[in-house]
Amino acid sequence: MDDELLELQRQFEFAQQVKSSIRLSERNVVELVQKLQELRIIDFELLHTVSGKEYITPEQLRNEILGEINKVGRVSLIDLADNIGVDLYHVEKQAQQIVSDDPAFMSIQGEIISQSYWDSVAEEINERLQECSQIALAELAAQLHVGSELVASMLEPRLGTLVKGRLEGGQLYTPAYVARISAMVRGASRGITVPTNLSVLWSSLQQLLQEMEGATGVAVDGSLFQYVFNGLVKEGKILGSLRAGVHWTPSVFAIAQKESVDSFFSQNSFIGYEVLLNLGIPQPIQFLKSRYPEGTALVTMFVHSSLIEMLDAAAEDALERGGWIDTVSVLPASFGPQDASKLLSLCPSVQLALKSNNAFIFGESYLFSSRFIKDVYDRLEKETETFSGSGLSSIMLSDETRCGHDSSRLAESNEVASEIGSNKQAVDKGSKKKRGKSSWSMVASASESGLDNQEHFPTKSKKNQRKGKDNSSLQVSDSRGAVKKESVKAKEDNLNIPSEEWLMQKLRMLVPDFEEQGIEDSETIVRPLANYLRPMLINSWKERRKALFTENAERMKRLMDNLRKKLDESFLNMQLYEKALDLFEDDQSTSLILHRHLLRTTASTIVDMLFHDLDMHNKLKNGLEVEESKNSDLISLSPGEGTAIAKSFPGSLSNRALAVVEALEGKRVETFMSALRAFAEESGLLLRKLDKKLEKTLLHSYRKDLTSQVSAETDSVSLLPKVVSLLYVQLNHKALQAPGRAISVAVGRLKDKLEDSAYKILTDYQSATVTLLALMSAATGNEEDCTSDRILSKRELLENQMAALKGLVLGAPQS
Amino acid sequence: MEGWDPSTKSTLTQIPLLSTKAGPRDGAPWTQRLKEEYKSLIAYTQMNKSNDNDWFRISAANPEGTRWTGKCWYVHNLLKYEFDLQFDIPVTYPATAPELELPELDGKTQKMYRGGKICLTVHFKPLWAKNCPRFGIAHALCLGLAPWLAAEIPILVDSGMIKHKDDAASSTES
Repeated sequence: MDDELLELQRQFEFAQQVKSSIRLSERNVVELVQKLQELRIIDFELLHTVSGKEYITPEQLRNEILGEINKVGRVSLIDLADNIGVDLYHVEKQAQQIVSDDPAFMSIQGEIISQSYWDSVAEEINERLQECSQIALAELAAQLHVGSELVASMLEPRLGTLVKGRLEGGQLYTPAYVARISAMVRGASRGITVPTNLSVLWSSLQQLLQEMEGATGVAVDGSLFQYVFNGLVKEGKILGSLRAGVHWTPSVFAIAQKESVDSFFSQNSFIGYEVLLNLGIPQPIQFLKSRYPEGTALVTMFVHSSLIEMLDAAAEDALERGGWIDTVSVLPASFGPQDASKLLSLCPSVQLALKSNNAFIFGESYLFSSRFIKDVYDRLEKETETFSGSGLSSIMLSDETRCGHDSSRLAESNEVASEIGSNKQAVDKGSKKKRGKSSWSMVASASESGLDNQEHFPTKSKKNQRKGKDNSSLQVSDSRGAVKKESVKAKEDNLNIPSEEWLMQKLRMLVPDFEEQGIEDSETIVRPLANYLRPMLINSWKERRKALFTENAERMKRLMDNLRKKLDESFLNMQLYEKALDLFEDDQSTSLILHRHLLRTTASTIVDMLFHDLDMHNKLKNGLEVEESKNSDLISLSPGEGTAIAKSFPGSLSNRALAVVEALEGKRVETFMSALRAFAEESGLLLRKLDKKLEKTLLHSYRKDLTSQVSAETDSVSLLPKVVSLLYVQLNHKALQAPGRAISVAVGRLKDKLEDSAYKILTDYQSATVTLLALMSAATGNEEDCTSDRILSKRELLENQMAALKGLVLGAPQS
Repeated sequence: MEGWDPSTKSTLTQIPLLSTKAGPRDGAPWTQRLKEEYKSLIAYTQMNKSNDNDWFRISAANPEGTRWTGKCWYVHNLLKYEFDLQFDIPVTYPATAPELELPELDGKTQKMYRGGKICLTVHFKPLWAKNCPRFGIAHALCLGLAPWLAAEIPILVDSGMIKHKDDAASSTES
């Protein structure tokens, strides 16, 4: 057998006998450890590393952490966890314990920092500080990656030991630097003589520093200056007072201020707040009050009591004299009216006078004695009386439009009244219950309850009819009165009589003293005075007006009645005459003449009368004194006057009146008639229309009138037209108004109607009259002239014929 | 090399390969081959020991080294199951792999030929043929018996076909 093989056999044997090494898997080990923990053999907390392959005890972990910290003195927890390979949670936990156990360590923002680290940092800082003489904390903090507060808290205990310098407003300074700054501050603040805002001073100092140190110089914070400054003030090295921390008032300035105020006040016994403000005293009133308790504070100034006494004396004097004073003029020039009035109110004599109504203050600073005012008022009242005559017309004009409205409203109220009248049966029911109510509601209720009442109270209505009538008429008059009153009231509200300007003008005239004050001043004083006096004047004026109104109302009524009567009469006549014109419609020229004649005569009389009376009515209504014209029947207005009056009528009435005047100048009676009708309607007058019956009676009276006239007529010339008119009445039943020129035509027209003999008489007479008139007009007035003889002879001839002519007309009816 | 678990494969690659191609009837070359067999077995055994994975004991039962006997064991549920192991070196060795026998388990499992020879996976034969003459006994044990034991013993134990010797003793006692 081969040795080698045997050897190998043995070796194999041996290899198989060798005890096999025992290997535990990780799983087994973990299980083992768990088992140990279960069995409380391991009775402390066991940590494992991040990799999960190692167990570590807390003590070991702590040791390792401490080791890491001591390496640099500052370690971030996250770095620790990485380095040691243990979960951050356990690292944090242990780190906390370390920090709490040992005061030499602190934990800040996930970092553990030891005091020794801070010591070394402080040394570094100190080195740098000695180089630069100042460092900003923020800069340090940024460098160290920690908060500046932390740096400050760290540096504070080391200031003066490790770090040789001082900390001020986030800056570190060396003592030398601080000394320099304090020297600067001392110099600057000693140089100040007026109150200054310190921040301004600091900024200028900062600028100075920067200039000195160039671009490298770091801005010095104002708070260092402030700190140094406060120290200096406390030490008494600079004198003054500090307000609100930044307003520095040097004592030098305060002394100067006080002295100047003192001197001014003692010299003038007053001082304006403005002066104090200029001196830099922000609250002058308090300042002065505390300084001079005997003084008085006014609106813009402060006065000594002696000034009040002075003014008091002047005021007393003025009041005793019964005059007035302008306190502003009495006081020094710097006194404004507000101050003056305040001062005035402080004067004891003025207070007394005001209380007893002996004095009045106007325009703030003017003091008037009541005697003075009474005097002025009396004079003004007199003025106003004259004013009502003269100056009022202009005011009237402005007021007339309103009057027009009033008149139309009156007309309305008339309508309302008539309505009420028609409904009176109903009203008496309503009025029983609603007597207290105003007229308009009554009207409404009347119109609405009219029917019902008639149905519901047929028996009662009869019984109450009489009573109701009285009632309603009473109410109608009431309502009318109310309307009138209302209108008057409205008018008075609007009436600014006498106007303020007028009053002021008068005042200036009455009291020439005011003028001396100059225009502006007089304005300030006269206006309040006028304002004060005006209500009184207006009152008296109103009272007088009221009296006038009641008086005028009667007259107005009379006037209107009169006018209506007259107008009726003449208008009917006019219509009568107008009808006669129809006869001549075919003859153009004659008709024209006749139209014109009618317009010139009858129509113009109507218009004149109408205008005059309406004008008067208007004046009365406005409360003016109008002297009763005696010869109201004989008014003749020139066309110019007519137009003027027409224009003076209010509103649309004026237009209508102008139309009437125009029509009067025209050639057609019809246009005039229509214009007149419109005008009359507008002015509230009713024109009666001519009806048959009326025409007959009128014609009859006219004929009678004419007949009597003819029979009484002695003048041969004027007889002819009357005879012709009478003939027209008799034959055509028309009233003809013919001018001389139209007579011949008129006569010619009669030819068909008259007997030949009668016609002969008429034509003869007419031709004779014509020749006579021709002769008369040709007559030169020369006595020796033969014409007079011829006139005489003609006249005789005419007179002879008169009887025949008269017989012609007068006899005709008898025959 | 598919068909085996990674640890088996890594172990296999660490077993020294053989070089001599000789069967038991080849005389001197067989002796040479036998020496190489021993070397590789020693290396495998040491490897197992160092990995705390010792699982067999064998020794040559005759001086020629054509018959081998010994024991092999498997630990299941913390119990060591130990069986007799025996095999002959076939005359066509190394072209033919030795047939490993576990006579105790004869008839107890289907993965076995008559006489206790274990059935190997389909992959074993081609791999062996491919690696002739580099594979030896150690390789046959590593590729054949170890996986077979790992696969079959737990099933046999669970099905109650085999019992731990302590249990068997106690059961017989009672």
